[in-house]
Order: sequence, then structure tokens, then C-alpha cells
Amino acid sequence: MSVEAPAIELRGLRKTYGTAHALDGVDLSVPAGSVFGFLGPNGAGKTTTLRILTGLARATAGEARVFGVDVADAGNDVRARIGFLPDVPGFYDWMTAREFLRFAGSLFGVTGATLDERVEALLDLAGLTGVTTKVGGYSRGMKQRLGVAQALINAPSLLMLDEPTSALDPIGRKDVLDMIVSLAGKTTVFFSTHILSDVERVCDQVAILDSGRVVVQAPIDDLKARYGAQKMVVEVTGGADDLEQRFAREPWASAVARENHTLTITVVDVDAARHAIPTAVAGQGVGLVRLEGGEVSLEDVFVELVGGER
Amino acid sequence: MRGFGAFLGKELREIVRTWRIWVLPGIVLFFALTGPPLAKVTPELMKSFVASQPGVVFQLPEPTYIDAYAAWIKNLSQMMVFAVIIIFGGLVTSETKSGTAVLVLTKPLSRPAFVLAKFSGALILLIGSIAAGVLATWAVTKVTFGVAPIRLLVETTGTWLAFGVLLLGVMTLVSAWQSSQAGAAGLGIGVWFVLTLLTLWEPAVHYSPAGLAGAANAVLARTGADLMWPLVTGAVMVGVCVAAAVGVFSRREL
Repeated sequence: MSVEAPAIELRGLRKTYGTAHALDGVDLSVPAGSVFGFLGPNGAGKTTTLRILTGLARATAGEARVFGVDVADAGNDVRARIGFLPDVPGFYDWMTAREFLRFAGSLFGVTGATLDERVEALLDLAGLTGVTTKVGGYSRGMKQRLGVAQALINAPSLLMLDEPTSALDPIGRKDVLDMIVSLAGKTTVFFSTHILSDVERVCDQVAILDSGRVVVQAPIDDLKARYGAQKMVVEVTGGADDLEQRFAREPWASAVARENHTLTITVVDVDAARHAIPTAVAGQGVGLVRLEGGEVSLEDVFVELVGGER
Repeated sequence: MRGFGAFLGKELREIVRTWRIWVLPGIVLFFALTGPPLAKVTPELMKSFVASQPGVVFQLPEPTYIDAYAAWIKNLSQMMVFAVIIIFGGLVTSETKSGTAVLVLTKPLSRPAFVLAKFSGALILLIGSIAAGVLATWAVTKVTFGVAPIRLLVETTGTWLAFGVLLLGVMTLVSAWQSSQAGAAGLGIGVWFVLTLLTLWEPAVHYSPAGLAGAANAVLARTGADLMWPLVTGAVMVGVCVAAAVGVFSRREL
């Protein structure tokens, strides 16, 4: 096992159910130490990928490696290094949070003072220190926080979270995201979701999965810069209506949107646009207030990459 | 087998701290505490009923401890069989359905250890419940009839317990295979029905686990029935069922 091995590496991963392709050749590399967002619409294959990585399901073809070890052969060796929170975690309702954490630790062979210390630290992290009621009486948010805490009981090298915030209210979401943010730099976090703002907030790298395929993988800033360069915002003192019609006819523009005196142009040739826009504005005899590359959100990137067919 | 001890510990604590501690032991103790008094008063009840029917003469021998033991075995052979099938139909399915299996099996708990711990926990519950029932039956029979040979009661109940463990093995397999408790219970009832049906065929009674289905009554009646083959083949069938449960569950996607 190499120290430099990616935390997760998927090569041509396929999973079929009858004639349906849940995963259709997924290639992915998650660097160790990253907080990695695994984005995709519902049904894209995120949960299936995580089920294969955790040994809950078997791949039809391809390879899934965790820290260089093939999960199909590894069994407990891999599971001992990971922490996992499923999308709908099931707890033993008759246990308290402390009892569940102690039980989870015992499955990893964590005992004695180490277990005591970790249980107290994780109860604190999850905000459940003073809670003595049984898990069956917990809110969804409390269960999710306990879910993250139990996934950390073995001090995992890789923490995998499947849609950890999808069913939570804003406060519950914030609590869970704060927990994830606090783990940055301490462990690799692989975090599946369809909530784009969550990824923007906590992740440094992202992959977008659609219809069982990874359509893009990159650091978030690179991704936004790459797609942001294709938008230009032009603010003028007047004549925006005429300019909108003129730009819409230009071969370097694919779309133009106007809001008062501001035009947002989707460009296919940035160099041509940079030359043509000031010329057009001057030719129109109006003042140029602002010309800049548009701010693009991850949502814009996501919609552009996977939204076109929907 | 990593995680077996920790998970078995969870199973035992779960038995003590949930409804499980009340249902099976409760049923057993109900039969144990009510069987001997009912055996004692049943002839009197029958006589008083028949006395109201003109022209009918009804004679019954005085009830003895044998009647109390027979009532205990009858209850085990009928009601307890269904209780075992229904309760243990959820042995594995309850964990797969609630999502708890996913949470524990993504930790270093092997699937064989998971299944074997579930079987072991249920076995301890079954044996413990029956042992408590034997003690209660013996005590109440002693009080009711003044005589209660413990050895006969233990031998008779032990023979039924062999059948109960056989059913537990079957339920472990079908619960590991099926996705719902109802489906597992349905299959369990089917297996019980087949075993009961096989008791009509003499070779099956002598040489197969089916011989355990009615063996407790034979022991109580001291017919001298040879139970070696039913016990041996029954033990083999339990082993095969549990091994098959491990195999089925290990291949199952969750």
C-alpha cells in the first residue's frame, strides 16, 4: 500500500441492474487529504458508488480502490480505515448516543481509555454531550450529527458521507456542515450531495456525476474559473436594448440576457468578445460603465454540464 | 469472525432492554404457570359440563403430573412453534430493513460474524426462555399435584427444544435470504408444515429431522422411541441452515 495512493480511485466502474446502468464506467480519483464533493442529481449513481466503496454492493465491472487496495478483495482491512454515514442511517433506538458510540468503537476494536476519550470528544463535536435520552427520541438533525460522530470513532483516514444534509432543516444543515468543515486537514472527506451550496461551502474539489458517468472532476476554483471565463457582464449608460439585439447576432455570443442596463453574455470566443464589445458600445454612442468576466456559481456549472438534457 | 463478541454483546443487551425480553419468555411463562392448574381442573370442568346434558355419562381418570407435562408440551408444540417462527422471522430482516445492518457492516464486522451472532443471541434467548419455563412448570406442577419428576420434564422439554433449535436454524436461513419478516415467517411456516407432514411417513420419523416434530410426546409417553437419527440429522440440518444463512447473507447486496 502506497502512502501516495489516492484515497479513492475508480477505474471504469460499472454497475448494472438488469438492463439499467446505475454506473456506466466511472473514473475518479480523490486525493488524500481533500474535502471532496461528489455532486450529481438524484439517481445519478452517487449512492451506488458509495455502496460499492463500502462493500455493501459489488461492481459489475471495473475497479474501486481505497488507499490503493481493491475493495472487492479487502473486506475488513479497508473498512477499518474508513468511516461511513449512509443517507438514512439506522440506529438502535434503545441505545443512547454514548452507548452507540461505545458499541461502534468496540466493532473497530477500540477499547479502554482511547475509547473513553474518543466518545467524549465526539459527543462534544456532535453537540450531544448532555443528551441522555435514547436515540429513538432524537430529531433527524441529532441523528445525522450522531451519524457523523459514529463514522469518526475509528479516527478514519477516509470519511464517506452520503447526502448528509439532504433531509435537514437549515439549522441542522449548518450543524452538520460545521462538523465537516472542522475535519478539513485531519482526514479525507468524500461527500456526496445534490445540494450545490453545501459543496461550495465545505469542499475544495468536486466531481459531477450524471447518468452513471463522471462528467467533470476538478478543484472548485478551477471549475468556476473555467466556466466563468465564458460569461461576460457589460454595464452601459444606455441603449442596452439595441446592444442586446446586436450581440445576439454575433458569432462569438451564444446567449445574451439583459437586466436594465446590464447585459450578461455567454461567449464562445472570449478574445473576439473582448475586442468586439467595447467597439460596439462606442459605436452605439453610449458609455461603458463595466466590462468583466461574470461570476459563475457551481450551480451554473452544474446546470450547464448536466441540466441541458432535463 | 471479527466483531462477533462485540455484536453478540449488543444482541444480548438488545434482548434485555427491548420487547424481546417480554414476548418469548412471557409466552413460555404464561404456559408454564397456567398449564398445571388447567390440567388439574379440566376433568372437573368437563364433568360439570356433561352433568348438564341428560343421559350422558362421562368418566375421566384423576389428573396427574403427566397431564400437566402433556399440556406444557402441547403448548410448546403448537403456540410456541408459531411464536418462534414469527419472532425469529425478523432475526436478520429487522436489521436490514431498519438500516442498522448497513451501519454495522461498513465497520470491521464480517457478515459471517453478524449472522452467527444473531443466531447465537436468539439461541440463548430460546434456551433461556425454555429453561425458565421448565422451572416454572416443575414448581407449579409440584404445588398443584404434589409430585413432579424433574428428569422426565427436562427430557421431554429437551426433546422439544431440539425441534425448536431446528426451527431457529431454518428461520436464520430464511431471514438472511428474505427482505421482509412476513416473507421469512411464511417460508418458516411452510418448512414446519412439510416437517409435520413428513411425520406421517415412518422412515422420515426414524431417520430425518422430521422425527423431532412429535418426539416430545413420545418421550413423555415413554414409548422408547429411538431419537438418535432425528437428533443427528437435526443437528446437521441446523448446521447446514446456519452455514447457508452465512453464505446467502455474504452474497447479498445491502
